[in-house]
Amino acid sequence: MNALPAPTKRHWVRHETLLLLMLFAETTYFFYFARNFGTADNISNIVRHSAEMGLLALAMMPVILTGGIDLSVGSLMGLCAVIFGVLTHDWHWTTLQAVAATLLAGLFAGGFNAALIAFLRLPPLIVTLGTFSLYRGLAEATTQGTKIYRSFDPDFLNLGDQHFFALPIQAWIFALGALFFWVLVHRTTLGRSFRAIGFSPEGTLYAGIPVERRTAMPYVLAGLTAAIAALLFTARLHQARADAGTGYELAAITAVVLGGTSIFGGIGSVHGTLFGIAAIAVLNNGIARVPGVLKAGVGGELASMLTGALLLIALAAPILTRFITRGRATQT
Amino acid sequence: MKRYSRELTVAIALSALLVWLAIFAPHFFQPQPLLARLTAQVPVLVLTIGMSVVIISRQIDISVGSQFGVCAVVAGLTSAAGAPLSLALIAATLTGTAMGALNGFLVAWLGLPSIVVSLATMVTWAEVLRLFQQGRFINLPAGVQWFGFSQFVGQASLLFFALGLLGAMAYFLKNRTGGRHFYAVGSDSEAARLAGINPKGVTMLSFVLMGTLTGLAAFCNMVQSPQVDPKCGVGLEMKAIAAAVVGGIAVTGGRGGLWGAFFGLLLLATINPALTYMHIDAYWEKAIQGLVILLAVIADGLRTKRSAA
Amino acid sequence: MKRSQFIPALLALPFTLLMSCEKSSAPVGADHPKAAKKLTIAFLPKSKGNSYFIACEKGAREAVQELGAELLFDGPTNTDPAKQNEIVENWMTLGVDVIAVACENREGIAGPLKRAQEKGIKIVTFDSDTTPDARSFFVNQATPQGIGEALMDEAARLCAEEGEFAIITATLTAANMNEWRKFIEARLAERYPKMKLIDTKPCDDQKDKAQAETTNLISANPNLKCIMAICSPAVPGAAEAVKQAGKAGIVKVVGLGLPSENKAYLKDGVTQSVILWRVADLGYLTIQAAYAVGTGALEVGSKSIHAGKLGEIQIDGTSIILGKPFVFTKDNVDQFDF
Repeated sequence: MNALPAPTKRHWVRHETLLLLMLFAETTYFFYFARNFGTADNISNIVRHSAEMGLLALAMMPVILTGGIDLSVGSLMGLCAVIFGVLTHDWHWTTLQAVAATLLAGLFAGGFNAALIAFLRLPPLIVTLGTFSLYRGLAEATTQGTKIYRSFDPDFLNLGDQHFFALPIQAWIFALGALFFWVLVHRTTLGRSFRAIGFSPEGTLYAGIPVERRTAMPYVLAGLTAAIAALLFTARLHQARADAGTGYELAAITAVVLGGTSIFGGIGSVHGTLFGIAAIAVLNNGIARVPGVLKAGVGGELASMLTGALLLIALAAPILTRFITRGRATQT
Repeated sequence: MKRYSRELTVAIALSALLVWLAIFAPHFFQPQPLLARLTAQVPVLVLTIGMSVVIISRQIDISVGSQFGVCAVVAGLTSAAGAPLSLALIAATLTGTAMGALNGFLVAWLGLPSIVVSLATMVTWAEVLRLFQQGRFINLPAGVQWFGFSQFVGQASLLFFALGLLGAMAYFLKNRTGGRHFYAVGSDSEAARLAGINPKGVTMLSFVLMGTLTGLAAFCNMVQSPQVDPKCGVGLEMKAIAAAVVGGIAVTGGRGGLWGAFFGLLLLATINPALTYMHIDAYWEKAIQGLVILLAVIADGLRTKRSAA
Repeated sequence: MKRSQFIPALLALPFTLLMSCEKSSAPVGADHPKAAKKLTIAFLPKSKGNSYFIACEKGAREAVQELGAELLFDGPTNTDPAKQNEIVENWMTLGVDVIAVACENREGIAGPLKRAQEKGIKIVTFDSDTTPDARSFFVNQATPQGIGEALMDEAARLCAEEGEFAIITATLTAANMNEWRKFIEARLAERYPKMKLIDTKPCDDQKDKAQAETTNLISANPNLKCIMAICSPAVPGAAEAVKQAGKAGIVKVVGLGLPSENKAYLKDGVTQSVILWRVADLGYLTIQAAYAVGTGALEVGSKSIHAGKLGEIQIDGTSIILGKPFVFTKDNVDQFDF
């Protein structure tokens, strides 16, 4: 038992070093070869375009750390956007009231996932597959698919377009989110218990930790984060729509796993997730600016394929090294 | 009795829905649309069989939708080039098998988590297909649709084939040693290894089988229509997973059977037409699908909690 | 032990090198984006991997060749409603001269387009417009109103102006199709009191789902007289369902789609009419207009534009009009190759 944590720890430190190197190489490459990649405007674009996905990834990290998964966050973004639209337009609430209610709705929807997963002990993959469909369905049913809410309070829309101290507002919100999740996971006993649950739920229970409540928490936070992401998305697009956040759950999971968090739980770090988010955000923006890609017009396709490749390489690299080092050890 | 309780629950839910339709929407049972609906589910059923085996082995494959599209285009191009149907069938299944083997290799021998591997292959195949085919339909020569026979013969033979495959696979999984190996590896791979089973081989086999069945399913889809739509695979992985799970196959591996998945598929596939026949607006569809999945899994959870207490 | 840490880095190296080798063969334009002095036109379709826009792109590439401009072609590869906005914002920082866009989301994309205009980038829309203040010209093959009315009129003609019909759309949230549906319903209310829209079903842009929905619609509604398929994969899907139900000619099929995908059904008398315009010409004209706007040859107030092989094209206000949509029937479908 004693031998287990040590190699694991080395393992993930190594992963993040590797990822940081990759990120550095990627950024340097784009900086020199991609058209206008390093301009201030473009860097602001990168942040604004990936803030929602990044926030979802930050919230997904503790979920995966406990050995779970949440497929419903993208759909919940759609539902929260619609709720916000209904409250401001049909119910004529003030923006502030509507924001508060939307956040509450996110908490509640996250809590619903949490209740089924933690207290009924149902498999997270299936529960959130169900709510993935349910939340998007509720959003579509509310708007009958067709209704789009436009024209919001200009102060609210500033969230999506404006800068604050030279950085887009999303950057500040994202930084706050990153700080919150980093402290939660790495500096609190709660965070430690997530990791412990991911390693061994039974063992954690015998250690006297309330496993059910601790398992529930990341899902509730994910719900809240999805609501925040929905508000940012609405502000950026100037529209509240039922199809907000389509496909974002997979992007968030990709970022977390690329960042070195084990999909089985127990291993991972928030800074790794941050590198993962950055690697994907930079790739999406930069690849379409490389002259050859630009000419061929295949930026979107190539970005997806390279993300897939990056994911496999990041996962396979430590395993391959283990094979190689083990092979060498047996030879000598 | 208890072993089959989940299959029973789903079958009862399905029967209740059908009885309800029989009373309020008898048009539902008109033979032609019924036959057309069932035939249209044949490719999904073939995929569900493969997915069930993968899930029973405690893995998952979310790349089958993309694989299905690739196989359909390969089969379509082969047929459009004038090759006989048998050649198109071979091309599709070989393509599927190769893609399944790639997933299997990454999961079984490199030990990578299957959800991540298949997430990566899902986006890769989808983008390759988009770059290659650009969404263009493939017009097939005459003689491909319904194998060149009449519509009824074509539909009937597809249905017989699918039910035959289902029966054979269900029997194999339940009653043959080879089939039990999937359960053994899925419930405890280490114990299975100690019992003399090769878990890597079994995992590999489940993905290869999944790939082959995907190719087969794409072929079954192609022969129903005079055209191939390169987007035909989008979202199929979710349908197959949902069917398996609603039918009582546990994502934790080692539990559940093909007949349950079959009933799960029929239940989910009946909801959408039921809305049309009951004149309920289409925008409720996703919400109801989600509720069915949740109800199925909650029923399961309550039962295990009660039996544990 | 420490040495083993280098191995992952080594493994990563060929990957990054590979990437750089592959692409650095292209001219390095990082420092001088406009060194070539070619006019850069960025062409943004509603989605990629869509046969309709591939046909558009073909025309666009032809025009670019003639004019000696640089063409950038990119578009959304998924259904994320923010994607077009992101691409426009990225092009703003990339340094393009003109952006030609087929707007998925009329109001949603207006913000980024206006910001691009402020930066001196000229905007031309095609296929579907944004708000008029966010672009210079709209290359107009048909307005949403024109499409909606053409579809409704054609369906009414086929049904002799009475009876039930149903619509198959791509997704319930597709903004441009919802716009068409609005005009279809307005025309219906205004002109055809004896016709009734009984249902609208999404097909997720997939032929098979359109077929399944149509099968159900026909059998659930025995009095159904017409299926109106307003996204291109839905037209052959609906036709196949009608054919399989043995209702060819009894349930009419009308829709928006490509002739090549519907030829067989038109000839068999399953599909009665398919409405579309010369798609490649739309791409060609868009680039001609974008080039003229970019070089300053075309300004607001001009009455016509000389568009290469298409000759003089009339301008109405800020709309450059390609011409009315065609109605393809079994008699004329053979003349078209897209």
